[in-house]
Amino acid sequence: MKHLLIFFHFYKTYIAWSFIITLLLGFVDSHYIPAVLTKLFLTVFAWYLTNETASKRKLTFYKNLGFSIQSLFISMFVLDSLLTVFILFLFKLL
Amino acid sequence: MILEVDNIELNFKNKRILSGIYLKAETGKVIAILGSNGCGKSSLLDIIFGNLKPKYKLIRIDNKPILKPLYKTGFIKYLPQYHFIPNGMVVKSAFNMFGVSWDEFASSFNAFKTYKSYSMGKLSGGERRVIETYLALKSKSLITILDEPFSHLAPIHIEAIKTLIEEEKRNKIVIVSDHMYQHIIDSADKIYLLKNATTKEIKNLKELESYRYLNENVLK
Repeated sequence: MKHLLIFFHFYKTYIAWSFIITLLLGFVDSHYIPAVLTKLFLTVFAWYLTNETASKRKLTFYKNLGFSIQSLFISMFVLDSLLTVFILFLFKLL
Repeated sequence: MILEVDNIELNFKNKRILSGIYLKAETGKVIAILGSNGCGKSSLLDIIFGNLKPKYKLIRIDNKPILKPLYKTGFIKYLPQYHFIPNGMVVKSAFNMFGVSWDEFASSFNAFKTYKSYSMGKLSGGERRVIETYLALKSKSLITILDEPFSHLAPIHIEAIKTLIEEEKRNKIVIVSDHMYQHIIDSADKIYLLKNATTKEIKNLKELESYRYLNENVLK
C-alpha cells in the first residue's frame, strides 16, 4: 500500500500534462496504438528531461525509499497507457 | 556490517575530481569526511548512494562487491545538500512514507508540533533541514549518509541532531560531511580528509592543520 502511495505521488507530477494530451488525442479521434505510442514517446521524453536537468534532484526522494527510477517511469507508462485507452474508449462511445 | 568504498575515479571533462579513494565504515561508527569547498565530498557521497556514476568504483559490503547502485538495495538513506522531500508533500505523509513516528518526533521537537498538516514547501529552510535529517536518520536503514546536516540549523537543533546521530549509530553506519568541523569532530569515530582528489585517514587532529585544512593553532 505504501509503495502504491509513493508511486501515485510520483505520477501526480505528470498527470495533468498527460490528461491534457489524452483529451487532445480524444478530440482528434486517435486510434489506440498511435495514442499509446504517443504516451511512450512522452514518457521517454519526461525521463530524459528529468535526468538531464535539475529535476534529477527530485528523484533522490524516491531513491531514498528504495525505488529504481526505471521502474517508476515504466509503471507510469503502463498506468498512463491504460488510462489513455479507457478515456479514448469513452470518447468513442460519445 | 562493513562498508568499503575503493578505487573510485571521477572526472568532469578533463578535470580529475576523485582518484584512488579508499574509505572503510562499520556499523556502530560515525565516519566523517572533511575537505575544502569543491574538493569532491558531495560527489563522493553521491557515488556511494548511487546518484552519480564514476569512471571506476568498487563498493563492498562485508567483502562482497555490490554492483548495483546502493539505493536499489533499500537499506541506505541519503540526506543530500538540497531539499529532497517534494514541496507539495504534507509533513505527516513524509513521516508515513519513511515509516517514522510523527508523535515521537513532535515530542522531541516541540516547536514543530503545529506543522503536522503543513506542506514541506511552507516550512523555512532550517525547519525542512531538521525534518529531512531526522527522517534520514530515524528511518529503517543500515547506512545513513548525511551531507551537511548542520547547515542552516539553530544551535539547539544541532545538539539534538548530534544526539540523534549518537543514538542511531548503534545500529547503522553513519557517514557525515560538513564544514562545521567542530561538530563533525565531536560526532566522528573516524575522520577522512579529502584532499588532492584522494582520501587520507586522520589519526591525529593536528594533521588537519598540517594538511592545511585548518589554520595553525585553531585546534586547542
